[in-house]
Amino acid sequence: MNLILTAHNWIMLAGGSIDGNKKPLDSSEYLGVTFAGIGIVLLALALLVVIIMLFGKIFDGINKNQQTKAKVAAAAKAPKASPAPAKKPEPAKAVQPPVPAPVVNAVDDDEVIAVISAVVAMMSEQDGTTYQVKSVKQKPTQGGFSGRSAWAMDGRRNNISPF
Amino acid sequence: MLQILLDILRGLWETSGLCGLAEDPMKLVMILVSFVLMYLAIVKEFEPLLLLPISFGMFLSNLPAVLTEDAIFHAEYWNQPQSVDWFWQVIHDGGLLDKLYLGVKLQIYPCLIFLGIGTMTDFGPLIANPKSFLLGAAAQGGIFFTFLAAALMGMSAAECGSIAIIGGADGPTSIYVSSKLLDGAESNLNTGTIALAAYTYMALVPVIQPPIMRALTTKQERAIKMPQLRTPSKTEKIIFPVVVTLVVALLVPSAASLVGMLMFGNILKESGVCSRLVDTAQNALMNIVTIFLGVSVGATCTASNVANWDFLKVLILGIVAFSLGTACGLLLAKLMNWLSGGKVNPLIGSAGVSAVPMAARISQKEGAKVDPTNFLLMHAMGPNVAGVIGSAVAAGVLLSVIAY
Repeated sequence: MNLILTAHNWIMLAGGSIDGNKKPLDSSEYLGVTFAGIGIVLLALALLVVIIMLFGKIFDGINKNQQTKAKVAAAAKAPKASPAPAKKPEPAKAVQPPVPAPVVNAVDDDEVIAVISAVVAMMSEQDGTTYQVKSVKQKPTQGGFSGRSAWAMDGRRNNISPF
Repeated sequence: MLQILLDILRGLWETSGLCGLAEDPMKLVMILVSFVLMYLAIVKEFEPLLLLPISFGMFLSNLPAVLTEDAIFHAEYWNQPQSVDWFWQVIHDGGLLDKLYLGVKLQIYPCLIFLGIGTMTDFGPLIANPKSFLLGAAAQGGIFFTFLAAALMGMSAAECGSIAIIGGADGPTSIYVSSKLLDGAESNLNTGTIALAAYTYMALVPVIQPPIMRALTTKQERAIKMPQLRTPSKTEKIIFPVVVTLVVALLVPSAASLVGMLMFGNILKESGVCSRLVDTAQNALMNIVTIFLGVSVGATCTASNVANWDFLKVLILGIVAFSLGTACGLLLAKLMNWLSGGKVNPLIGSAGVSAVPMAARISQKEGAKVDPTNFLLMHAMGPNVAGVIGSAVAAGVLLSVIAY
């Protein structure tokens, strides 16, 4: 019975039926606001969940289609290009020092290239494969540091600063 | 001759601020409180961008002015219903801070701040994981359960709504709702005290949330690693603000101003073709509005408004609202974790109280305490920005059901 009364009040409340100066409120009024409020907020945001999920699926589908088309187009173009015989990676017995950058669109900072080369050399030592740094390209930025979003920047700051 | 000299001296004393302080010593107390807040803002860096303007506004409005026309702020103007005469009185006789406070009273500043927030917000994590919306909705439970608590304490509907909205952990929304509900209401509360409590608790998020998070989650739950989120396309990010505005405005029209401006700012950013407008909204406009909002809201913190039991009730219920919001978010995240078979770290639920991005950072930090290789920030940003939308919707609901 109480539930029915509360539901009735929810409907009544939608029209701004509680006088702001009313004091104290009836139990049906404050219970109505509390549960109707939570209900409406959940309903509105649940509706958004459904819509955004639907959009996500549609866009995923579109992206997959585009990727498939791109792959087909690339495969169609591939025979026309002069194919270079792929080198088989030779397992290196001794780790060769990586060759830093015959660079296209080069990052001019030698220190950055040295750091990247050092990391590659370390990886070479770990897995026994020889890698070569053939080019170092700076990722295009959309304003802001390294093109990272604000949240990514914040995440990075959180991860690299002591807790 | 001596009598004339004494009369002059007495006249000087009676028109001086010192006489005003002697007549109303509470002003001195409020000035001292403003100094404490300035100390917290400058030395402890508690939300300095807001707390410093608020504290200085408090300092300015509590400086005694014997002649009414000299006062920089008139608290008495703001306890009466708005009318054309009232408006002309403020324009004609008001001090500088009265005129700046019109932006609060007319709900201009909160909406402009939402515009700025929109240009700074990346809804990508929310689009990538739309279920986060539910966590943003659950955390608004703090608002409505506090409404219940305030009603049980015998407060009026307008007071209940104004206090409860603090649980949204969203300063502009608190100002927006309280300035509407308390306009002309028979109440000792005012927008300034609500805003002061809201911003105080937002600054204290790192203190309030962690104990609740640890109490409601196990160590194993806090250690759950969540998979990498997908990257939404630009088109999705552009469509998102339009869809959200449409849905919210259709369901809860009272929230349209806040959500509309938030999403307007966001579409400016995501469109990528309005860089000048985005730059202005993010920086110059946001800074100007923050200054005006802070100093004028601080000005409302006069002795008569703050030194009373009602303000103490606001402080108590405010922390209840914040804590309940955190708990509701955590509990729903636990439920989602259980339903998903252990794929959701419940810590991200507490980020549903908007306080962007502080609440998400707390989730990250608490997760990293258990496992330093666990990166929850991106996952917590989803509920966090959903909380901004959720609190605006909750504000709309309160404004819909309470007549003002």
